[in-house]
Amino acid sequence: MKPKQIPERAAEGELENVYHDIKQTLRVSGINLIFRIWAGQKNFLPELWRSFRPNAETRAFEEMADRLRADSVRAAAAVGRLQAAESAPLGDSQAFQLDAALDLYHYINPKLLLMASAAVMALEGQAIGRGADGAGVERIERGIPARMYPMEMVSEKPDDKALRDLFEDIKQTLSLQSINSDYRTLALWPTYLFVLWSRLAPFVKRPEYERATRVLREASREYVRALPFTFQMQSSRIEESLDNVFETSRNFERLLPALILNISLAQADRHSLERCLASPFPAASRSLEPVEVLV
Amino acid sequence: MNFRAFQAMQRVAVIGARFISYVDQGAGEPLILLHGMPVWGYVWSGLLPRLSGECRVLVPDLPGYGYSDKSDRFDRSLASQAAMIRSWMSQLGIERASFVGHGIGGGVALRLATLSPRFVKRLCLLSPVCYDSWPQETFWELGRGDANKRYSSSDVMVLLKQQLREAFACSPGDEMLENLLAPYGTGVGKLSLIRNISALDTNMTTEITALLPRITAPTLIIWGEDDQRQDVKYGERLAMDIPRARLTRVKNARHYAMLDSGAKVAEHVLEFMKG
Repeated sequence: MKPKQIPERAAEGELENVYHDIKQTLRVSGINLIFRIWAGQKNFLPELWRSFRPNAETRAFEEMADRLRADSVRAAAAVGRLQAAESAPLGDSQAFQLDAALDLYHYINPKLLLMASAAVMALEGQAIGRGADGAGVERIERGIPARMYPMEMVSEKPDDKALRDLFEDIKQTLSLQSINSDYRTLALWPTYLFVLWSRLAPFVKRPEYERATRVLREASREYVRALPFTFQMQSSRIEESLDNVFETSRNFERLLPALILNISLAQADRHSLERCLASPFPAASRSLEPVEVLV
Repeated sequence: MNFRAFQAMQRVAVIGARFISYVDQGAGEPLILLHGMPVWGYVWSGLLPRLSGECRVLVPDLPGYGYSDKSDRFDRSLASQAAMIRSWMSQLGIERASFVGHGIGGGVALRLATLSPRFVKRLCLLSPVCYDSWPQETFWELGRGDANKRYSSSDVMVLLKQQLREAFACSPGDEMLENLLAPYGTGVGKLSLIRNISALDTNMTTEITALLPRITAPTLIIWGEDDQRQDVKYGERLAMDIPRARLTRVKNARHYAMLDSGAKVAEHVLEFMKG
């Protein structure tokens, strides 16, 4: 059965504030699929976020995401080159915006995998975090980066039949119950997405691709164990069945490495290795000093 | 021309943390076409071949509109739009240009002509917002604080299509309406339009009313004779207040005269550019 999602626009009350806080803390311009689905599970997301948030705002978490991103870029280099860019010519403005959209997902997806791993491990009863007491733990700045592309997406069920069929093909090939936000954003440039997918689909079954996704999943778990603060959830606060939240979280942990890798492959197709390895939105430390703001 | 073909022609200029998408065609004297609400640069696509044969035509999507920056973090007032256009011109190395401004694009052009006159060589106003002629009641609902939650993207598209149909003298087909509204069909596009609407402020044109007599640029005012959105009386008033202005009415045209009678509008503009 397809899991229930709560879109950003439909969020009310506590969930609305949780969504806002996620965007500000994780520095992302929209609410990804994983959060929308977790939000559809009774009271799970507020409890997960309440427990995870202290880690989410730390420099350590940011750097773990940076390392996971770099791991993915190196893995993508080993998997191969898509050569989609030259087959899907775009105008200047289209290319600029496509690059901005890829940067958005290249930035946020590693954080999502880390959270999924943390959720699974916590639900498995594993110990997560080093138990820091707060003093001396560096925190990063809050807020959506000034130049981050808005998380613009086409409908999950677009009017265009060819696009609808493409989404179905992506879902079937990647064993998704719902189409990820990333593909819905890339569908803003449908010619590009069609070409990208035609190049990507054959990669997905290759042994080196599967190996790369496994390595990313293992790396995510390793990093999460070293989070600064202890992370545990109070199951008594979760109204949804623990089996359901566990299955959902485990599904995301299983599927996100492929998404991260796919975005890395798309990035590598368009940019130098050095650019792909670097964080698209480096985070300054949190400061109470007044700063010049770029608007 | 389909909207995707127009979109593929767009270049991009990064201005601070924002960006403007724009078409740049032709050669010679620069002519900047500023669209209105709730459309985008595509509204000028029918005139582009004719105009770009005689001059360098630049068609920006105003910030918050079309395929320019639609992030939810900047001021969309006419004052801010005018400032962005100035910065964009400077970045392109254009010191001075002729302008054709429609609707709120006309309001932007008026602010440039009154407050930044060195940027404006000639001024052509096509049913511009001016004095207290705006905003239309049509848009008030969408400017409410809770509009994003109240209205889905498809709700907004239905409303906008209905409003647009009424603003044409000809009967635009569904494809034309979809092309004109394409950027606003997503959640982000819808929210951007809502933010644009919430920034509609009569003060942006009333505060420059006293400065209209100081406009030195030659001015042509074009008005669809049957425009029900912006009454032609405002065009008559502009022609009285702006020293070197004349008003010309376009028959069988409403608010979107560039679409109802594109050839005629292009002819007026080119004649004005040569004058």
